Amino acid sequence: MVFSSLMFLYIFLPVVLILYFISPMKIKNLIIFVSGILFYAWGEPICVLIMLLSTVVDYTAGIFMHKFDDNQKKRTICLIVSVAMNIGLLAIFKYSDFIIDSVNAIFNLEILNPVVRLNRFINSIFDLGLNEERVDLPIGISFFTFQSMSYTIDLYRRNIKVQKSFINFSSYVSLFPQIVAGPIVRYEDVQKEIDTRKINVDMAADGIAIFIKGLSKKVLLANNIGILWTSIKAMNYSEISVVTAWLGILAFTFQIYFDFSGYSDMAVGLGKILGFNFPQNFDHPYMSKSVSEFWRRWHMTLGSWFKSYVYISLGGNRKGLLRTLINLIIVWALTGLWHGSSWNFVIWGLYFGIIIIIERIGFGKILEKLPSFVSTLYTFILVVFGWVLFDTVDLPSCLNYFKAMFGGSGVFIDGDAKYFIITNILIFVLCILGSTDLFGKILSKIKSKNNALIEWSAPFIQVILILVCTSFLVNATYNPFLYFRF
Amino acid sequence: MKPEIKEKIRKNLPKMLSFFFFFGVITILPLMTIILPKKEFSEIENRVLSKAPEFSFSSVLDRSFMKNSESYFADHFVGRTDWIKAKTQMELLSGKREINGVYVSGDRMVEKLDSPDYNVISKSISAINNFSETTGLETYVMIVPTSAEFYSSSNPNVNQKEEIDKIYFELSGENVITLDAYTVLNSNKEDYIYYRTDHHWTTLGAYYVYSTTVYDMGITPVSWNNYNIEHASSDFKGTLYSKTLYDGIKSDMIDIYYPTSGVDIVSVDIHTGKGTDTYESYYFRDFLETKDKYSVFGGQNQPVVNIKTDSYNENKLLVIKDSYANAYIPFLCQHYSEITMLDMRYIDVPYDEVINTDDYNQVLFLYNYSTFAQDKNIRKLDF
Repeated sequence: MVFSSLMFLYIFLPVVLILYFISPMKIKNLIIFVSGILFYAWGEPICVLIMLLSTVVDYTAGIFMHKFDDNQKKRTICLIVSVAMNIGLLAIFKYSDFIIDSVNAIFNLEILNPVVRLNRFINSIFDLGLNEERVDLPIGISFFTFQSMSYTIDLYRRNIKVQKSFINFSSYVSLFPQIVAGPIVRYEDVQKEIDTRKINVDMAADGIAIFIKGLSKKVLLANNIGILWTSIKAMNYSEISVVTAWLGILAFTFQIYFDFSGYSDMAVGLGKILGFNFPQNFDHPYMSKSVSEFWRRWHMTLGSWFKSYVYISLGGNRKGLLRTLINLIIVWALTGLWHGSSWNFVIWGLYFGIIIIIERIGFGKILEKLPSFVSTLYTFILVVFGWVLFDTVDLPSCLNYFKAMFGGSGVFIDGDAKYFIITNILIFVLCILGSTDLFGKILSKIKSKNNALIEWSAPFIQVILILVCTSFLVNATYNPFLYFRF
Repeated sequence: MKPEIKEKIRKNLPKMLSFFFFFGVITILPLMTIILPKKEFSEIENRVLSKAPEFSFSSVLDRSFMKNSESYFADHFVGRTDWIKAKTQMELLSGKREINGVYVSGDRMVEKLDSPDYNVISKSISAINNFSETTGLETYVMIVPTSAEFYSSSNPNVNQKEEIDKIYFELSGENVITLDAYTVLNSNKEDYIYYRTDHHWTTLGAYYVYSTTVYDMGITPVSWNNYNIEHASSDFKGTLYSKTLYDGIKSDMIDIYYPTSGVDIVSVDIHTGKGTDTYESYYFRDFLETKDKYSVFGGQNQPVVNIKTDSYNENKLLVIKDSYANAYIPFLCQHYSEITMLDMRYIDVPYDEVINTDDYNQVLFLYNYSTFAQDKNIRKLDF
């Protein structure tokens, strides 16, 4: 299920919240667990078993790690089992097609993916309609496996305490606000709240405000600007004008930001309504003055996950410059691969890895001395180029798109481009302003002068926004879920 | 009550309000949706609404239960049409011109065309060429541009004139003659030749094309003065309205042209595929009382419609067509003793099980460009 749907907003959410609020603290986690399973199974009625498997194994690994507290060898085995299982699930369900296709292409073989073979076998007995050509990626697998691993790794590192209650642990994994699109909440972040937490109207109201903000970002901004990208993406790149090409990729630049950060806001907001404080995931990334800074402000929980569990495990920057650079390359190739299993994403990750290395070995110092609009523009444009790599179908069409952006068709602006500008100018302006901290600044300025005005208008603005979003959802012709590859 | 508690409540009041507003909205709307009676058909949207999903082990596993629940809930959501109207208004205010595949363009709406799929088109072309060759019939093809060609120049659109010319060029069969509807429509585009809220042409548009193209079929058209024109309806809101629910465009008028003299229709046999119904008139006035007013012309699309007139001539015409033909056929009736219309979209058996081509002298393919460019049924003539 996705948050930006009538089914979630008007059936799932009210039922779950009412049950959650009226039930005693003891069974609140059970409600979270059951509702999370239902939420996930709504989109993945079969693959929900994969999530349950991952939960049971990691819970058990934790229990054993605790039991053999003084036997380092056995603790290590527990960790290896947990990590191997999660990475294994990812390898099978996310990367197997990519790996086998690549091997087949290099060695000119025709190996059939064993998962596909298994699907065919199961279908022949139960007729479940499993995919017989490719492996279907279970939604959110990259999120819940990473979350689940953070528990066993941190437990191994003795950063956290063991979770003895299965219901509590599984409610952490299946906590529906963050299960399919992040933020990647580490066990460490919620370890206190998972056992006991305050739930009150005050915090719920804050959560509602954040949730509605996220919903509006997704439904009003991301979906509307996304329509523009969808139509330009489908055009013939050798014929589109320069302006059309730039409008298209800028549209995607804003779509992915408002979609993704909107999802994170909705998750954080829902978390607060339930009594959890999730980490922030986005901090106006398009205002960054260097690419390194961009990645500290974009999908922050993913960056910190890779830093804590991969970069530092590899030795980080403590083993000399060469090792540091190698470590960075590994982390960025993996970051790219995390976003989708194809070479596009690997190259996209390495692209950022290389820029970050260049910034690190000296260019960053120069950037700091430049006027801030120059360094912001530099960062923004490199990120936009990155999105071309990220969202065009394959490498040839990516190159063609770059050509179009730099005049491949020989036409600077045409009728289509003018139409796209006129019909999307307002939404573009809103997106540009919304990517900066301008609204926040204005808000806090008014707040400092007249706090009551902001406080009292908030509930009314929220009602208006949720009603407007509803009208866009009732007849939603375009409401995509962008993270099915993650 | 202690003053500090009072103060605390006052301070928390806006947040309480947020909380109760939110819960109010997310509980009241679904409750009303559940309580209010459900419709099966939405007349205003001109479509059948989703049926309640059936719960079973297999429908859950293949996700059809979830998908059906979602569309059922959305289709029956309380105040659905008002939500859509509000969305259309907001989209237009934001500067958008395209709503659900329809351009709102000044005082009218026009259908946005998809870019042509040449694979589909070339299959249709070869089916027509082959049909003409195997039956040996005098074959006429007329592809009528839709209103987007004339009233939507500032929006991205397919150049229909160019595309129609390309198609005509490929229709190379020996007995195939193409008819030019574009020129006369283009020179009369200031007139009321297309509906403002519907994707069809008006009776006037059809008359203009009739009066200039039928010469090529060996016919002298009936002159304009020989018609009595009835304004059958003045509050027609058509298919484009159904897609947008935008009320800012003036309703359309439906005219019916009655010749003052000449031949009369004797019978109209409609073969629905389940049986045959016989009518005395080609005009189905009951539809004027419904939303679907264009169906006054020959009723809704049916597989086979056979029209007999009291004409003394022996000319018989076969028409393979889409709904644009429905407003056009009455003009042709003056010149034939029998006209049979085939709508290939509703025919799933070889055509010679439905009609005998030897019974006819001529065949006319009459499509609007939008249907012709997308229709995967014309190729059924090849089977």
